[in-house]
This record gives sequence, C-alpha cells and structure tokens, in this order.
Amino acid sequence: MADATHDWAHHKKIYTIIGVLLFICTGLTLALGLWAPLDVGPPGPTPGDYVIGLALAGTKASLVAIIFMHLNHEKGLIYKTLVFTFLFFVALMGLTLFAGSDPILEEYDTLETTNGKLIQSVDQ
Amino acid sequence: MEIPYEVTPRRDTGLYNAKLGVWLFLASEVMLFGGLFSAYVFLRVGIQDGVDNPWPWGLNVHKNFVWLGFINTLVLIFSSVGVVFAWVALKERNWRKFQAWMYIVVACSVVFMCIKGVEYNSKLNKHHGIKLMDNSVMEGKIKDKTDQIRFEATEVSFSLQGGIPILLESIDGDFPELTLQVEEGDEEITIASASEFKDWFFDARRQTARDLVEERKRYRGEIAEGKEAPTPVTVSTSATLVSDNPFKVRGNPRKIVAHTDDTINFRDGTKVTGKLTGDDVVFEVHEVDLQLVLPQNQRDALVWEVIDDEQAKKEFFAEQRKVYEEIKEYYDKRGEVIPEKMLRGHMLNLHYVHLGHSDGHHGDDGYGDKEHDGEHEDDKVHRSESKPSAKDADLHSSKDYGLISVPRDKIKFMGNHGPRYGNYYALYFTMTALHGLHVVGGALVLLYFVVFGKRIYLKNPEHLANRVEVGGLFWHFVDLIWIFLFPLMYLL
Repeated sequence: MADATHDWAHHKKIYTIIGVLLFICTGLTLALGLWAPLDVGPPGPTPGDYVIGLALAGTKASLVAIIFMHLNHEKGLIYKTLVFTFLFFVALMGLTLFAGSDPILEEYDTLETTNGKLIQSVDQ
Repeated sequence: MEIPYEVTPRRDTGLYNAKLGVWLFLASEVMLFGGLFSAYVFLRVGIQDGVDNPWPWGLNVHKNFVWLGFINTLVLIFSSVGVVFAWVALKERNWRKFQAWMYIVVACSVVFMCIKGVEYNSKLNKHHGIKLMDNSVMEGKIKDKTDQIRFEATEVSFSLQGGIPILLESIDGDFPELTLQVEEGDEEITIASASEFKDWFFDARRQTARDLVEERKRYRGEIAEGKEAPTPVTVSTSATLVSDNPFKVRGNPRKIVAHTDDTINFRDGTKVTGKLTGDDVVFEVHEVDLQLVLPQNQRDALVWEVIDDEQAKKEFFAEQRKVYEEIKEYYDKRGEVIPEKMLRGHMLNLHYVHLGHSDGHHGDDGYGDKEHDGEHEDDKVHRSESKPSAKDADLHSSKDYGLISVPRDKIKFMGNHGPRYGNYYALYFTMTALHGLHVVGGALVLLYFVVFGKRIYLKNPEHLANRVEVGGLFWHFVDLIWIFLFPLMYLL
C-alpha cells in the first residue's frame, strides 16, 4: 500500500506540536484560575474569567477536532453533518434563554437597603 | 459474507462506512452532552443569590481537586496523542509500536479513572455539610456516622405484609436474641440471627397472607348467607419481638418518620421502643458558609450559637474584613460601588474556622487549603476544646479539629457532597460519571483492537488502521468533552 511509503514523520511532528500546544493551553487554563495576576476583572470568577477560560477550552477543542480528528482534510458529507450538529447544539443552548421569559421566583428576604447598609454590616 | 466499504471508500460519500457511522454517532453524542451543558448553563445562570444553594467555586473549596482535574486533563490529552501515534504506527506497518501506543492509551484511561475514584471517594465519604435552620452552613465532616439516630431498643413491632423490616439493617453490632410476643398458650419463638429472622419472617408473612385469604372468604360467605352482622376480619398483620437485653440500633434519619426519647417510627411502619442514646450530630467543622445569611444578620447567625466559640467567630469576621478590604480597594480605584452580588458571594462569606487542637492540617481529602492553614498556625489562633455531648462521649475525638455537637432540631439539611448536596454536585456527578463511562467504553474498544487485532492486521493492515481511526475519533471526542468539563467543573 502507498501508506507505508507516505511521509508519516511529518504527521508525527504535527501531532507532537499539537500535543505540546494542548499541554500549554491546559497550563494556561489552570494559571487563569490559580494565579492572581491573570485574574481578569474583580477578584474571583467573573464574566471576564469565564470568557477567557471558555476561549482557551474552545481553542483546545478546535485543535483536537481539526488535527487529531482530521477535520482539516475531511470529506464534504462529514462537514454537512457537523453543520447540522452545530445548529442543533446552538438551539439546545438557546433553550435556556426561553427560561428568562418564564422565571420561577420565590419570595425571600430582601436586603434591607443598598450597599451602604451592607458595608456597614461588614464594617462592624 | 464480505461487508462492503470496510477498507475502501464508497464513491458517493468518499468515506468508508465505519467513518460515516462514527461521525453520525458523535453527532448524537454532541446532543447528549449538549443537553447536559445546557442544563449547566441554565442552573448556573439562574441562581438567585442568597436564596439558592451557592455554586461552589472550584478554587475556593476544592483546591486539591483542581490539581486532580488538571492531571486528568493532561492524562487524557496524552492519551489522545497516543491514539494518533498508534494509528500512524499502523500506517507505517509497525505492529510493535502500535501495540505499545495502544497499551499506553489504555493505561492512561486506567489512571484517569483511578484519579476520578479518588475524587468521588473524597466527595462521598470524606466531606459533609450541615445547613442550619437559618441557612448558615458548616462544611466539614460528620463523625462516626452520628447523622444516624442512636438508640437502645428492647421491643420492636413491624408489619408482616411488606418487605423485610428496616430494623434488620439498623441493628448495630451482633444480632440480639429476640423473642416473639405470643398469645397465651402458644409456643414461644426465639430468634438469634439475621438468617433466622429472615426465615421466620418469610414464613410468618406467608401464613398471614393465607389467614387473610381464609378470613375474607369466611366474611364473604357470611354476607352471602345473609348474616346481618358478619364477624369482621380479624387477622393480626403485625408482630412484636422483645429482647431482655437492650440492643443497639442506628437509624438512618432518611428512613425515619419521627423519633422521641423512647420510640423510633420508621418509614416502613417499624416501631422500635427503648431508650434514645444520642441524636446530636458530632461534626468536625472546617468552614463556615454564610452566603445564604443576610449580611446584617451574620453576627447573630445560628452557626455561632452551635459552634459556641468566640475566637472562631472573630477569626471568621477578621478574614471577611481582610477580603472586603481587597475588594473595596479594587472598586474604589475604579470609583465604583461593590456590587451586591460580590457582597453576598463566597469570597466574603465562606471562610475557614479553627476549633479544637488543630495543627492546621486539613487532611488529604482534596478539600484542604494548606497555605491557608499555615498562616493560622503562625497566628496561634485560639482553638477551643472539642465539645461532644455527654451522650456521644464514646465517640473518637479528632486529632486535627475540634468537634462540636449539633442539636438535630437546628439542622435543616445535612449530607455528603453527593448529588443531593446541590445543583452543582448533581451536575458534577451526572456529567463526570457519564464521561467516565465513555472513557471505560472507549478504552475497552481500543483494548480489543490491540488484543484481537493481529489477525486483521495480517490479512489487511489498512482495515485495522481504519478501525483504529474510528475508535480514535471516539476517543478524541471523549477528550474534547473533558476539555470543557475541566474548566467548567473545577475552575470557573
């Protein structure tokens, strides 16, 4: 077969590079959570941290899908299938938005006043 | 029969059949996990601060778990690289290399599952939480199964119509010698072991059912005969066993309807009479969580009454003050007011407290924050003596923490960090367990290829390469899911 004479060394090099990149991205994800200087916005987990964390995860997932799962040179039928999968997935995530128009609220103690009072409480 | 397009691609699709099949399967898998990720977003975004159980932010309470999750991520990525290298080895027609890489991949899956097991064990067996009536929460560990009701029983009654009474699983220690309370003149029956009890119970249940049938038949007969006042059906459907020597019972509170100082009523109708020896929960406090208590009520929270340690209270609020200053500085610089969400969040309202003779060690159960502990060791923070109730005096005292005795009537909820503990834990276990099943399934398929694939390899190596590619696609998908689970469950 032709495969035996194909330049597989090149493939192995790419796979190794991608593996190393994935390790680095994982390290970055961890650093984002553990290392204060990388904490975006106010201390603790905030929307900025979510965006960066998920962007890193998205990058890693893309590398796995494109290189390891060979989506960089796949046949059209696979891409068509994945387009539909993606659309359904987006719809699935979008379902949560509908919940906003039908909130289930319970009565509960509200804060007596605004921040002034809260800060006073902490200041005690 | 020759299956077509196992090796060569079809003309119309350009793909061999298995590849198209696995991609369609992966599309359905995306929907499966997509539904769960959707639930995650819904539950997390929908939290009402101060009302719903707070979302446990990974680093705040599970610092060591973050490292376990991190190691697991690296292990899975490495295994993904391993699968493509195994596939390349087949393309190069190098069976030995293929074998080596595949065994490495399978070994990675074993390591992954072992680490997961450590995490699960820690969450399910080593860490508990108690929510008090005013929603203040203590994190720590319930000692010596004291969440169960301790009782010394002398008499037990139960139904002869249902399943085996809960009593059987509630007896603490050896099975006692029980005597059946019988009517005068009947032969006395003594039961001295669990198996004897079961044998007797099944016989008695069968006999009761027969007696009922007979009695009902007689009753219907009397009605048919036109008797104006037929004798009612009178079959005893319960039994009472007594013991001369009181025997120990530990009742699972989830299976108990109510208990008093001299009785326990179980859900299945079993009633135990005797003497209550203890129902307070002995708890090793690690952290206090006041996220669900209004800031203005925090100093009078029930948790301080239960802990009864002024120094621990001071320590908590000193830590809160310190964090507050950091947050205030951040917002002051920007000329903004601290958002209410931040004031109600875990950063200000969840802190370690130290009771008893702590050496500052939080154990290796994944929940420890050793850096934090070290600080307080230096500070020589006062630690109170442990205060288990007199009833629980026989319980082991902790070397690392002070114990407190929590009255049961002050507890709203208690449990381990299992799926019942909150939305986060329910999702954590559902998603990671489902993912774990995929890891096991994928590893078994890959193991099959390497153990039984030689024959196909010798016949047509390209056929095995295609199989491994398809198995590999699934494996990469499993890796891909974990890539999202790691930050979502452990970090963010």
